[in-house]
Amino acid sequence: MRIAAHQVSLFYQKGTPFESKAVSGVSLAIEPGERIGIAGPVGSGKSTLLALLAGIMTPTSGEVTHDGKSLGRRTPPKPGSVGFAFQSPENCLFEKTVYDDVAFAPRALGLEDGEVRSLANGALAGVGLDVERFGSRSPFSLSLGEQRRVALAGLLAMRPPVLLLDEPTAHLDPISRHDIIERLIKLNDDVGTTVVMVGHDMEEMAHFSKRLVIMDGGSVVADDDAGRLLIDRMLLERHSLKLPGTVELCRLLGEATGGRVAPLLDEPAAVELLFKMAGGLEAGSCS
Amino acid sequence: MQLTSIAIGQFYPGTSLLHRVDPRTKIIASFAFVIVLFLVRGFGPLALLAAILLVGITFSGIPPVWLWRGLRPILILLMITFFFQLLFKGGEEIARLGPIAFYREGLERGAFLVLRLMLLVLSGSLLTFTTPPVLLTDAFGRLISPLEKIRIPSNELALMMTIALRFIPTLLMELDRIIRAQRARGAGIGTGGPVRRARAVMPVLIPLFVMSFRHADELALAMESRCYRGGRGRTTRRKLKYGWRDAAFMAVVTAVLFSSLWIGM
Repeated sequence: MRIAAHQVSLFYQKGTPFESKAVSGVSLAIEPGERIGIAGPVGSGKSTLLALLAGIMTPTSGEVTHDGKSLGRRTPPKPGSVGFAFQSPENCLFEKTVYDDVAFAPRALGLEDGEVRSLANGALAGVGLDVERFGSRSPFSLSLGEQRRVALAGLLAMRPPVLLLDEPTAHLDPISRHDIIERLIKLNDDVGTTVVMVGHDMEEMAHFSKRLVIMDGGSVVADDDAGRLLIDRMLLERHSLKLPGTVELCRLLGEATGGRVAPLLDEPAAVELLFKMAGGLEAGSCS
Repeated sequence: MQLTSIAIGQFYPGTSLLHRVDPRTKIIASFAFVIVLFLVRGFGPLALLAAILLVGITFSGIPPVWLWRGLRPILILLMITFFFQLLFKGGEEIARLGPIAFYREGLERGAFLVLRLMLLVLSGSLLTFTTPPVLLTDAFGRLISPLEKIRIPSNELALMMTIALRFIPTLLMELDRIIRAQRARGAGIGTGGPVRRARAVMPVLIPLFVMSFRHADELALAMESRCYRGGRGRTTRRKLKYGWRDAAFMAVVTAVLFSSLWIGM
């Protein structure tokens, strides 16, 4: 599914003394199968933009379209076409068992029991939870990381062509974070699901994004190939972001050796480079 | 649905005379106003009360749209009230609709009750619109502090009110988010027949409850970790002080209330 935003703005509490601008004049198109990161400082409007793209919120002005169809209060997105998660989606778990919670969306779509079962089981497996072990437990008895996985499985169970996720790894431990990112990448690679993720961990952004959108003050300030934006130190720092670790490493290596080292986003490549340079300085000292 | 735009208990920032009068004065005046409102009979005194309220509204600088928003939720109640009073017999017959006859007295009673209810709601809105919630509850705590003598914990009551008021917008915002999130998962909230609607409440209610309990828990812990041990002997940054404005305000209000009592009883 293709999502497009045209000159979209959203004001909170419009017409009151508390009016505040969250997103102003954003235009953006998301093609099927893309993997996009949206980064920016706190309060830059990333989360609001994501909700607008999902059709969860209606813009104050401008238009969002799904496959060319304009969204509005009277014309919501097609059920099951978008998997959307606010920050901390585990706050919306409510069923008695993990299985029922994951099966909620397919049941709401009116699917048959057999189909619901296969979708729910597939979704649970997709987030790395064993149906036998977790299916009959109460979602409230799980750890935060497990709850987050259940909440994400609840979205995957709809098999949506588009996933829009607001900081899906926030507050999790490093292993869980890495695992969730890996699974999202795999989903995008294997099934072709469009995945858009809001975040501000630059390592994650470098690992995940093919295309990167940087927001600040409610507007899009950069929208390009992630590899190109993530090595632009001036741009990133102007918007309270920093270089990913590997790029920073290359920059420091360049500074230390007095030359210029081409920036690398790929971790293994950076390790190899470091190894080579260390070898050049002190042959054999690393082996 | 825009839940966050609900106007009840909302404050409208401003610097008008009404904003600057001591909140205790405003609470006492509002109470007196409501009592008089329910004591008087006849349209004369009611008009007088409406007039003083209108003057207050004009002085407060609050946009009429906001006051209208406060009235909107009770519109249906007002209409039902008016309709039932219309059926009263008495006085001359003024209109007839098939078998139902309408009499002058019914019409008058209906109009009187509707006006009274509207004035009641408007006076309450005027108080909350011109007074920040924190000041309002602080003033309430001060007003009932003599009750400490009979062991009614006025400070704790005021704190409870403050917290409750403070959480209304927070919970409304969270409710809004939960509804949107669950709707994205296909929950049919606010659509379909009554049974479907009732069932659709659970995906919203349970997360909201879980969240409010968590908030309460965290707040209690935060208060304890900052050494809150009950309200006795606590001082406040903003000291409430009566001034010439309060005297003037009270004088005008008292004069109007007494004259409407004098005409209307």
